[in-house]
Amino acid sequence: MRHLNDGTLRRIYDEPLAMTAADQAHFDGCVECKARFNGIADEARTTATLLSVPAFDPNPGAALASVRARIKRDEAARPSRWYQRWIDRNTPRLRPMATPAVAVLLAAVLISGVAVTGVAGQLVRVFQPRQIVAVQVSPSGVPSNLRLDYGQVKWLPEAPNPQQVADPVTAHALSGLPVLMPGSLPTGVSGPVSYAVVPHATGSLTFDAARLSASAAKAGVRVKPMPAAINGSTLVVSGGPALLEAWGLSGAQGQTQFPTLVIAQTRVPTVDSTGATTAQLEDYLLSQPGVPPDLAAQVKAIKDPSTTLPIPIPKGFATTENKVVNGVHYLVIKAALGAGVVWIKNGVIYAVGGQLTSDQVLAIATSLH
Amino acid sequence: MLNAEAWRPTVIRAPLSAISGRAPDPFERLFLLEYPKVVAIAYRVLADRPAAEDIAQEVFLKFHRSFNPDSERASGWLHAAAVHSALNVIRGERRRAQRETAHALDRSLTAGSDPEHLVEAAEQRREIRRALSRLPERSAAILMLRYSGLSYAEVAVAVGIKVTNVGTLLRRAEEALRKEVNRATSE
Repeated sequence: MRHLNDGTLRRIYDEPLAMTAADQAHFDGCVECKARFNGIADEARTTATLLSVPAFDPNPGAALASVRARIKRDEAARPSRWYQRWIDRNTPRLRPMATPAVAVLLAAVLISGVAVTGVAGQLVRVFQPRQIVAVQVSPSGVPSNLRLDYGQVKWLPEAPNPQQVADPVTAHALSGLPVLMPGSLPTGVSGPVSYAVVPHATGSLTFDAARLSASAAKAGVRVKPMPAAINGSTLVVSGGPALLEAWGLSGAQGQTQFPTLVIAQTRVPTVDSTGATTAQLEDYLLSQPGVPPDLAAQVKAIKDPSTTLPIPIPKGFATTENKVVNGVHYLVIKAALGAGVVWIKNGVIYAVGGQLTSDQVLAIATSLH
Repeated sequence: MLNAEAWRPTVIRAPLSAISGRAPDPFERLFLLEYPKVVAIAYRVLADRPAAEDIAQEVFLKFHRSFNPDSERASGWLHAAAVHSALNVIRGERRRAQRETAHALDRSLTAGSDPEHLVEAAEQRREIRRALSRLPERSAAILMLRYSGLSYAEVAVAVGIKVTNVGTLLRRAEEALRKEVNRATSE
């Protein structure tokens, strides 16, 4: 066996137990290695002497108090962001947070686009406790009655509610979005068209570990402790405006209606965080109760979650297919009751859905003008 | 003559209850766990207690502004930040001589000691730090991290090298330091 190198001999001096059995066997029987070891040990002792300093017992408690005071001063000196000043100026109604904020707020955007399609009921229920990811979700894996309070929610000026409007001119004026028309309508889809506008809204969630703990105790579930970087931090979600156009809602009064076709569009939502990073939020929220491990794994597999819009697909109720037409990527969703297609272009999310085939919705999507 | 005081730092684990009655948050837990090591690293480089405490607190403030205390890399980052911050100080230091001499005469350190001997010891430490400041950054960092009491595994994480390479690089750093000290004393 070759002699032990200087690095191994140096480590033996400091950490003799780290030596492998083979090295130990060689060392025990090698006069040359022992002699080199003695020289290396002498040098280490000399260095220890050279680098010696008087004894010093630090006081972590006092140092922590000092650091805490400086953190507090830093935070007090930092000017608040525009939206914090805005939040402070307004006194919006508060309501408890039932699910992770990102899921709820993005759900509002997504639901506004597809809620009135045939699969909307599934999407609403399945998506509610989820995060910001386009993933397959299993309805049976999601506890429908788990309600956790993650902190204080504020809406500015209020939670977005769709507003029905009479005509396309008003719809355009209120939303600032163009009223889109398909090149042609498939058989079974006919007017008149109903319009709804969801105004631009900003919501904030300030994470509160104490509130989460209390709601978890009430629900009888265990939650992972909220990291310091998240506790007290605020997420600000800005979404909308959105414009919805629906065909087939002119049936008899009192009758449950499903539109035959919906075209929806909304400006891409933005989420700002006052402290916690995307990775921290993802790690934390995905480890919470009610998030199945397979979903968490899919979300974590997304390369850049900060720029990826999630579309929840209920496993067993719908399938998806990716299509590229004229350079635009379309996500085609096929369900038993109908089909839909979702895409993003120039900062706007579009969705077309209805009681149609996937080919029909894709033809409509690519013909909008 | 060089003194031969023990080089290993005294690691104090402050009882959590000493800070407050409540359960510590992640930053506090990290601070109480790592502060003794961080300040020991800075102190080993600077041989100056108040300066080491300043560096250690600055390191934790920087950490708090940018990082998650639950991160697996937190300790490695803190150790690396401490050693590089302290090495930057000795490289840029202009008035260390006066301050260290004054510090050596500080009542808390001179109790029961011969002031003349302590001034001499402070001068020797200053020579060593000057030699240290002339070493390559990585060599100096490995040397100070190890002689602050960090394990080979901890040194490897802080410097970003394999643990199996620590011994070799440490050995070279020791030789380099000895040569620098010999060169300085022979001038």
